[in-house]
Amino acid sequence: MRITGTIVNYYIHCKRQCWLFAHKMNFEDDSEDVRTGRILHEIRSEGRNNTEIQIEGIKVDKMTEEYVVELKKSDADVEATKWQTLYYLYILKQKGLDRKGRLEFIERNKQNHRTVELELDKRTEPELIRLLDDIEVYLQQDKPVPAIYAKKCERCAYYAYCYI
Amino acid sequence: MAKSAPTTRYIRTPGTLGREDNSLTFRNEKGITHIPINSLKELYLLNEISLNSKLFTFLSMANITVHFFDYYGQFRGTFYPKEARVSGKVMLLQAKACLENRLPIAVAFVGAIAANIHEVLYHYFKHGNKEIKPYLDWLKKEVPDLLPKIKKVPTLLSLEGEIWRRFYETFQLILPEDFVMNHRVKRPPDNPINALVSFGNTILYTKTISQIYHTHLDQTISFLHEPSDRRFSLSLDLSEAFKPLIVFRTIFEVVNNRRIQVSKHFDKKYNYCLLNEPGRDVFITAMEERLQQVFDHGTMKRKISYLTAIKYDAYKLKKHVVEGTPFTPFLEKDRR
Repeated sequence: MRITGTIVNYYIHCKRQCWLFAHKMNFEDDSEDVRTGRILHEIRSEGRNNTEIQIEGIKVDKMTEEYVVELKKSDADVEATKWQTLYYLYILKQKGLDRKGRLEFIERNKQNHRTVELELDKRTEPELIRLLDDIEVYLQQDKPVPAIYAKKCERCAYYAYCYI
Repeated sequence: MAKSAPTTRYIRTPGTLGREDNSLTFRNEKGITHIPINSLKELYLLNEISLNSKLFTFLSMANITVHFFDYYGQFRGTFYPKEARVSGKVMLLQAKACLENRLPIAVAFVGAIAANIHEVLYHYFKHGNKEIKPYLDWLKKEVPDLLPKIKKVPTLLSLEGEIWRRFYETFQLILPEDFVMNHRVKRPPDNPINALVSFGNTILYTKTISQIYHTHLDQTISFLHEPSDRRFSLSLDLSEAFKPLIVFRTIFEVVNNRRIQVSKHFDKKYNYCLLNEPGRDVFITAMEERLQQVFDHGTMKRKISYLTAIKYDAYKLKKHVVEGTPFTPFLEKDRR
């Protein structure tokens, strides 16, 4: 199974969401948050030519000489976005493109900064490789892990499916 | 909270339905009506309506299902947009469940029919109708004993038939005389009550098709009904548990409140009987109200409608085939 940035993000955010998404059991409802995210993304990238680059299943929001930029509607799960972006850096590095990562949040609720910078280095790279192995193994399971019934579930598009 | 635009639109008068920019328009001799597409999920065309392929392309983009009925109110088919939710994995697991584990799922559907009929009739018992007591006791005590002992689907189907037959027999105790049913007759129905049952079941069946459309389940792989019964036989399965709660409660309501009357709301031709246009309007309005009625859902900690409960039954079934969680259809007694 080809791993995408979204799969890495979901694995950190919620393992059930990750499994269901990877097995093409996509959002059941057209979640308003998902829609807002997509529209914000379209508005931001309008009239620019350095946006949305697609390589081997990954979709990079924006790339400059120095940075790979990941745009997010909110900073609800910075950790998940961090590993998603590190995964992009990792794929690009294999193509001979060395970049740093920058996360940009349109709404910030949890932290003071609107942006976060990160790098694929001696510490993060082996950790990422381990993470990718874990994801690979997990996605081969024939069913997802049970629902966790957490606060963050309330706004998830899979809420009804998990809680029924 | 502002009242949201309806997710279902019924078009009852002849006219032309078309696309204008990114909106739907309906034209007839009275003028033009704009139909906002934002929250629209399904359309019911209950009369002669002209359409073109440009419209279908648009409806398909918006994932809107369209149900067609002929002049006589007979269901003719559904326009099913290129599937939005397709998962090969779910389809394989659903087929596997049907081949290997069909009976327990089918039994669950019949158990829910019995339990929900009991809920509906108990209301009449509570209000002084003591004659239905033997049937209520049979539903509550004997049917749940019989169900786990059943070894084959045909035996199950004959028990299901028995449940419905005895249910119809109680009509003479709870409905006015001119609505009493001698026996259930389908296609075409021969008396007013059969006409109501047929029309109500059809609307519920199409509602369920639209709900299943928004899940990953395959419409053709069913458990209680033979998978080859009809093209969308899963919808027949999933609508069963809701028939007593939605279709029959609506019938009892409109008949006992005299909102539908034999003399005013039926066309009787040759040897069959059909709901006429005003009759269909009254019935659809009453049934739609019931489908939209909300209540607290236990585990979900949310208010849901009966219509959503149908979709959630599809989720339960999907979760059962994918993850092996228990499958019990919606039970009225679990409402909170």
